[in-house]
Amino acid sequence: MIDTLLLLSLNGLIWGLIIALIALGLSVIFGLLDIINIAHGDFFMVGTVLAWFSLQVTGNYWAGFLLVPLICFVLGAIMQRLVIQPIRGNPALSIVATFGLSLILQEVVRMTFGATPRRILPPIQGTMSLFGIQYDIYRLYAAGFSIAALAAFFLFLNYTKLGTWMRAVRHDRDTATAMGVPARLVYIMTFAVGFALAGFGGVVAAPITTVDFRGGVDLLPVCFIAVIVGGLGNLPGTAAAAVLLALLEGIVQSFANPTLARITSLLLMSAVLLLRPQGLFKGFAK
Amino acid sequence: MLELRDVHVHIGKLHILQGVTFDIKPGESAALLGRNGVGKTTTLRAIMGLAARSGGKISFDGTDLSSVAPHKIPRLGIGYVPQGRGIFPNLSVLENLNIGTQGKRDTEREDYVFDCFPRLKERLKQSGNTLSGGEQQMLAIARCLMMRPKLIILDEPTEGIMPLLVSQIRREIHRINQSGVSILLVEQNVETALKLCPRVFLMEKGVVVYSGTSGELKTNTEIVHRYLGLSRKPAA
Repeated sequence: MIDTLLLLSLNGLIWGLIIALIALGLSVIFGLLDIINIAHGDFFMVGTVLAWFSLQVTGNYWAGFLLVPLICFVLGAIMQRLVIQPIRGNPALSIVATFGLSLILQEVVRMTFGATPRRILPPIQGTMSLFGIQYDIYRLYAAGFSIAALAAFFLFLNYTKLGTWMRAVRHDRDTATAMGVPARLVYIMTFAVGFALAGFGGVVAAPITTVDFRGGVDLLPVCFIAVIVGGLGNLPGTAAAAVLLALLEGIVQSFANPTLARITSLLLMSAVLLLRPQGLFKGFAK
Repeated sequence: MLELRDVHVHIGKLHILQGVTFDIKPGESAALLGRNGVGKTTTLRAIMGLAARSGGKISFDGTDLSSVAPHKIPRLGIGYVPQGRGIFPNLSVLENLNIGTQGKRDTEREDYVFDCFPRLKERLKQSGNTLSGGEQQMLAIARCLMMRPKLIILDEPTEGIMPLLVSQIRREIHRINQSGVSILLVEQNVETALKLCPRVFLMEKGVVVYSGTSGELKTNTEIVHRYLGLSRKPAA
């Protein structure tokens, strides 16, 4: 029982770090562009599929860690320009537009990759002893990559010119423009970075999940719950909430079924909305 | 330097600017005055490209601003201090200062603005929202100065500021003007405006209805009463 609890908690923790990457992209896109991105789960799915293609082409899974975020970044920039920019300032329309985008992404993947889910073997095989249980080495690598990507994102946001511009435009687009900040470029970059983060999450997660054209559908609600529990627009809060939720679901799964675990997350979200609508982690926002 | 010719702005169905015409010469300090809602802030926003023009022409140093993207207008040499100061509360003082500068930090320019506003140097790492109203106003002006502007547009810089700091901000605006930078000031505080600006434009219902010197305005009680709603002469 303790072994199962430990195993599922660790799995939950690592999955939470991956979800944190994806939810951060969702949060930053919502915070800056007022876009409720229904296609964000599919950005993760595109990441897993591109990781599979990258492996087929290069024969080296690690190449995907560089190639996939780059491709996703470019795709994100193109999508922002073609789909999001024309509906800027209309959050309600963004739900319809990104829902359409979600369907297009799924169907394009179904046409090219196929409808059959596939598995990718982890690039590092084997297990190691951890707290008395045998644990997949790759999952620990996945945790390391996720933490590194989260740290890189926050360093980018706080210590680069573009990151500073993103924080400024998020607060007041007009004043930022009057100070010489190219707000339109910042919007494009924000959407592209959000897609790249989800895509990177896809590469990290592909060997520990299945690669499937519907792979993003289940993930989207978890990301939204993380954004709400962490506090709208609170990026460190979103990351912390994603880890907390996945860990909680992992713990609940050790003695109940996955449906009950998801119900627990929904109950937590409802409690936060009722008792602390500003989010659990208010005070960490920058 | 700055020329506005028959500028019109519509916001929704409202015709806010109905043909604004005036100009600012190099090194000049001018005030744009009028009651609330006559279109002063909209005029400034139109100059900065933040309010879409429906007619007319705005040019700066011979460049038609309608052909310039709004974020490139500050790079031509127009600095803007918006109403309410527009400080980014989630950015540090240093980040606020350098938001518009291109490339590396301009430490020489930073030294200049710290010379103008020494208090900012003590608060470099503080977030913008931790500053007092007066300090935020200093930061808003300093942020403009970082871009080495030829003209600074200030929208009610003394609004909501304690009197002690008002005189310091007034002194610094005068000093900036003395260094050769033109000033266009929108101000509810008529006394401040007339002290700082030898040239005055009065707006009423979206047009400039009076253009003259501050000396003329001080003696023209009828104009002052009709367009500014003041019943007695503003103090010299």
